[in-house]
Amino acid sequence: MPEKIDFSKVSFLIVDQNKLSTQLIRDILAMLEVTRVRSVTSVARARNVLRGEPVDIIITEYHMEPETGIDLIDWIRTGMDSPDRMIPIIMLTANSEEEYVMRARDRGVTEFLAKPFNVEGLYRRLVSVIARPRAFVNIDDYFGPDRRRRQVDYGGPDRRRAD
Amino acid sequence: MARRAQIIPPRPDLRRKAVNHTRGFDFKLSPAMVQKLEQVVHKARDSFTADIAARLVAMRTALREASDGEADAGQALHAIYRDSLEIKGAGGTIGFDLLTAIGKSLNDFVSGLQELDPRRVDIIDLHIDALYVVLADNITGRGGPTEAAVLKAFSAVREKFKDD
Repeated sequence: MPEKIDFSKVSFLIVDQNKLSTQLIRDILAMLEVTRVRSVTSVARARNVLRGEPVDIIITEYHMEPETGIDLIDWIRTGMDSPDRMIPIIMLTANSEEEYVMRARDRGVTEFLAKPFNVEGLYRRLVSVIARPRAFVNIDDYFGPDRRRRQVDYGGPDRRRAD
Repeated sequence: MARRAQIIPPRPDLRRKAVNHTRGFDFKLSPAMVQKLEQVVHKARDSFTADIAARLVAMRTALREASDGEADAGQALHAIYRDSLEIKGAGGTIGFDLLTAIGKSLNDFVSGLQELDPRRVDIIDLHIDALYVVLADNITGRGGPTEAAVLKAFSAVREKFKDD
């Protein structure tokens, strides 16, 4: 029997200053039978929510003011008072150029989805973070999901280019 | 020398909590379910269209006030950057791919700009005009040859005048 995902067991936090975008994500999640969704319009409020209650998945915009989605990722992945350094973070943003994708990846985002988005793209990322959790890497200046998605044969101890 | 990486195994708790064999959604959505979810997006279309129209008004006002010297150019450009980014993100989501393309063109143009001059005002104005036309004429998808030519022209203008 194929595996299924029971989204009613999963809680979400949406961080976005665009209320329409937030409502659309909420409506899509509701259709997937998600019942526990919080949404906030700033990184500061996201911190407050996360300090107060556990959340399974964060969906955040990149472009926010005064703090950005990157600031939120930084706090979660490396903050001394982070409530959960390994929480999955999906960045859903119109800042879709490569420089933004790379920056988000190098700060520890779990999945990146460019706006405009389609429902299948969002769903695939939800499946990915729930059903295919990734190993985390802790190294000098990085703490976050393993950025090497492709599994390749390697001979060195750390799968680094320098090995 | 770099410290050896510490690999932390995937955390299984979320998977354990939500993945099962009896209840919920398949890993790959059925066409019927995709259609249901797309209907949710479709229902949001009117709200998004109204929001984009309001952003066009706001951008036009900000540009006019800045070019007339009534407002700070940097602040106006910042507001136009923010609104064009939202249009870029929203357009294609509700089927207006051309809004996204023109929104991106405008967003690329104003990104990093601090000052306005008459030529830059004209270029931003033309982008806003084009966005209005797409919305007013309900041009979904990427449009046709005319729209492609407009985008190409915007690209050439951007390249020529952004760093003038």
